Amino acid sequence: MTKDQKENFQAHLDRLASSKEEMVPISEVRQIIDAVRDMFEGNFQGEDLSMLGELGELARAINRARKELREFSPQALNDEHLPNASEQLDTIIKTTEQATGKIMDNCERLGGIHERLKERIAGSEIAASDPDLLASLDDAVSESQAYITEIFEACNFQDLTGQRIQKIVKTLREVERQVLRMVIVFGLNKEKGKSLDSETKEKMMNDAELLNGPALPGQSMEQEDIDDILDKLL
Amino acid sequence: MAVNKNMRILVVDDFQTMRRIVINLLKQLGFGNVTEAGDGQQALDKVKNEQIDLIISDWNMPNMTGIEFLRGIRADERNKAIPFIMVTAEGKKENVIAAVQAGVNNYIVKPFNAATLKEKMIKVIGEF
Repeated sequence: MTKDQKENFQAHLDRLASSKEEMVPISEVRQIIDAVRDMFEGNFQGEDLSMLGELGELARAINRARKELREFSPQALNDEHLPNASEQLDTIIKTTEQATGKIMDNCERLGGIHERLKERIAGSEIAASDPDLLASLDDAVSESQAYITEIFEACNFQDLTGQRIQKIVKTLREVERQVLRMVIVFGLNKEKGKSLDSETKEKMMNDAELLNGPALPGQSMEQEDIDDILDKLL
Repeated sequence: MAVNKNMRILVVDDFQTMRRIVINLLKQLGFGNVTEAGDGQQALDKVKNEQIDLIISDWNMPNMTGIEFLRGIRADERNKAIPFIMVTAEGKKENVIAAVQAGVNNYIVKPFNAATLKEKMIKVIGEF
């Protein structure tokens, strides 16, 4: 509603309030009802719409980001454009899972080699003739084994990145859903000043609801914080 | 009493990668008698069918979550004493409290290393 319209509307109400007539013409009642209905239906104009325009721009920016994400598909991963962002993110998870699997396969093979090396060294003549060399070789194998353990520990990333990617997708969807709902509630339309009809709004609202919301947000704690709680409770 | 390194350990996680990591870290710590399950329901079946001495379980899993599995375990009088370590990326305070109330023996937040796993195991099963 523009400033002029607001002033006219207010003047109209003031005139009716000060009127000494007992009967209000039906045309005047209609005008008031129309004005109130316009407000409830989101028939915004002028400066009101500039604020809503920002909201619409935000919704479009999110949508653009999602489309760009959907369209980004490295040739090495897939020759075809992936149909949606979540599938693409699933592919990232699977690709890292496969790579992590190969890393762990090779670590396990190295572990096997270490075992065989230890057995060979222990059973060789070196063990009897040169105890220092034997200890040195043993230390080297143990050190190498420790590095393998560190590689296994580092492979934690695969599980965690997967979970975080899923959370990001859910959050993005929820932001988009909320912005979309606001746009629908305000009845924002490309054609300025024209509100969306209730049927269109309902359909859009249903579409918006199809976007899944995220799990309840919660503050994650570090291991030390967890330990503090455990110490208090256990 | 010394810890029996041949104890039967059940590792539960829907992510095969994570199961492999935990199993390998256990191996590095000298525990090679390990069995695994991909969710809480499978794990519950394992506990019913074989002698398990220690459970290391993820929280977020399909079909049956780690906390549901823990409650299922503790609901059976015979399994009340099985040491249970929860391993999860969920560091929420309410989750830790819920796990403690359900009867967890310790809680590890991902990412973790062999030293943390060892420290928590020692707290649960004793020095090794």
